[in-house]
Amino acid sequence: MNSATLLTIGAMAAVTYLTRVGGYLFLRNRELGARTKAVLEAAPGCVLIAVIAPDFASGNSANLIALGVTLFAATRLSLLPTVLIAVATAGILRHAAHLGGG
Amino acid sequence: MQTCEIAAAPTQSVTTKSHTASEFQRGVFASIPVMVGFIPFALVLGTNAVQKGFTTQEVPLMTGLNFGGGSEFAAVELWGSPPALLVIVAITFLVNSRHLIMGAALAPHLRHLPRWKALPALFLMCDESWAMGLADTQRRKSSSMFPAFSLPYYLGLSLCLYATWVLFTAAGAVLGPRLGDIRSYGFDMAFPAVFLVLLKGMWKGLRTALPWMVSLAVAITTYRLIPGAWYLPAGAAAGVAFACRNTRSPS
Repeated sequence: MNSATLLTIGAMAAVTYLTRVGGYLFLRNRELGARTKAVLEAAPGCVLIAVIAPDFASGNSANLIALGVTLFAATRLSLLPTVLIAVATAGILRHAAHLGGG
Repeated sequence: MQTCEIAAAPTQSVTTKSHTASEFQRGVFASIPVMVGFIPFALVLGTNAVQKGFTTQEVPLMTGLNFGGGSEFAAVELWGSPPALLVIVAITFLVNSRHLIMGAALAPHLRHLPRWKALPALFLMCDESWAMGLADTQRRKSSSMFPAFSLPYYLGLSLCLYATWVLFTAAGAVLGPRLGDIRSYGFDMAFPAVFLVLLKGMWKGLRTALPWMVSLAVAITTYRLIPGAWYLPAGAAAGVAFACRNTRSPS
């Protein structure tokens, strides 16, 4: 294990624990401003969607179709079936594109 | 201060040992369906982490100390040699900032617990254990049980989820290289699938989703123009700034 990795993991762990106890320690008796609330509410979604942005920017049609199917499944189904459909669709489409020489 | 007094006062609840054990067991059983859901993501995370240069020991070290799936997926995605500490820590904070709201919502139900019990218990708080713990609290409250928040139930539930996460991310790190390139099977599509389902859970109408669209658009543009992981902070910052601007402060 190298020290840069350990340091990064340690810093991640510290920051995550702060978010877990922060609400309990500091926010329990306080009224939040409208803007603070809006930022706290919007932040997780903005981050999650930015993480998967490269998938949306993919030029590969098999990947894009699989992503569309996944998006559709996600709006209707729970976690496990959505993931199974996503993995199966991507696997099958890539295999088909490969066979078709695409 | 009021909470400190309540915490210091002797608890009147009749918590016998067998009662605690049965509450713990109730939590363990409640965790089973979620555990099944955790396993594929844990395996994918462990496998991808090793591909990005983690050792098999570093994977459970990260998942055991941090225990936040979303932030770990993001960190692995951003991981380089050496890792960009500041970017990863900032993203970890942003991804996990929802814990602040979750903890604040849970806090009123933890008043019967001393801090030395509440603070370690909060280490185990994840989206699922929080949601299920809160739902159980409301159920117990409506049948006027005290305390409404059952600590042994929460611990049974969240310890099982924690053990599953750490164990199976480690298993993914060990088994992943033997499975070969998981991308060719389509397993990498599990990433966007998890994130899209999580986003659906946060969906509260088009208005809440507008900042997400801004974030996505800016992230895609940045990804195409600038090499590296900048698309992530750029998109997230743009989305959050949009949400902030769009909220009128009460006059």
